[in-house]
Amino acid sequence: MGDIITVTSGKGGVGKSTLAANLAVGLSEAKNKVVVIDFDIGLRNLDMILGLENRIVYDVVDVMEGRCNLSQALINDKRSRSLYFLPASQTSDKNILDKDKVKKLLVSLKKDFDFVILDSPAGIESGFEHSIFLADRAIIVTTPDVSAVRDADRVIGIIDAKSEKARNGEEVLKHIVINRIKPELVLKGNMLSQDDVLSILALPLIGVIPDDEQIVTSTNSGEPIFYNKKSVAAEAYRRITKRVLGDEVSFIDLFAKRGFLHRIFG
Amino acid sequence: MTLFERIFGKKDGNSASTARNRLTLMLATERAACSTPYMDEMKTEILDVVKRYVDDGNVRIKTEQNQNIDILELEIDLKKRDD
Repeated sequence: MGDIITVTSGKGGVGKSTLAANLAVGLSEAKNKVVVIDFDIGLRNLDMILGLENRIVYDVVDVMEGRCNLSQALINDKRSRSLYFLPASQTSDKNILDKDKVKKLLVSLKKDFDFVILDSPAGIESGFEHSIFLADRAIIVTTPDVSAVRDADRVIGIIDAKSEKARNGEEVLKHIVINRIKPELVLKGNMLSQDDVLSILALPLIGVIPDDEQIVTSTNSGEPIFYNKKSVAAEAYRRITKRVLGDEVSFIDLFAKRGFLHRIFG
Repeated sequence: MTLFERIFGKKDGNSASTARNRLTLMLATERAACSTPYMDEMKTEILDVVKRYVDDGNVRIKTEQNQNIDILELEIDLKKRDD
């Protein structure tokens, strides 16, 4: 039985889909069979980040409504062969998902895959609820700014209420990823530090991703940054992947002398 | 510190702590409001019962909340009655 990992945040635009994509690539590069599903019905995005937008024929709603087989809808990644992608539907009715059908799909995927990664939509509406319902673990992405942290706190507060696992008395693992940290600003005292965010959200950390311009380039070209050996953010994603797999890995020292980072990644 | 900062003084540099304080305050109220809606009612009812037996000056009541737990702490000082 595989694990369902839901990537969520509350606030939009903090890097959920980018994390979902890179974590999926990372786990499959580590020889796991992975499927990543875009749950943002009506606002499909993960396809562009993965560079698979031209290969979409069927989507997740087609599968749930029985308009096609699962194997017809799953898109095999061109580079990581054990990675599969199930796109969101572009219908304007975002309430189209049905709880029982979501459950049926996810339960069957769990049998076939080592990891099922769900890219949750922003907000706390039904799409979010569907994506968290069967989660074994949740990764909450936030950036170090007041609105993202506040929304993350709201989401953390309702995960257990919406989770089947929590209802059965089991624990949904919850971890924080802090995205787009700018070390120079933290040093100047003008950006919340990772300790600030963690003490407010009171959950363990699973990743810190520094602000990295190369993310823009990689999204533009549809090549997940994970493959980029020179990017600091890619290194952060690689370490997150290892932690998800249970390894103890140190966090990147964001405050190391610039020259040092440049020597490695520059 | 750069020469510029030395001369003109470091004006900014504490907006992070402002953010931290604003967030902490905001979340304290938000969490209190949504996590246990029956908290106030429960507190009043417990106090009603306790007051039948002890002077309410001997009761201390405290609530504490964070992401994982909500605690209602009740301390009742049971004075030995002088016979």
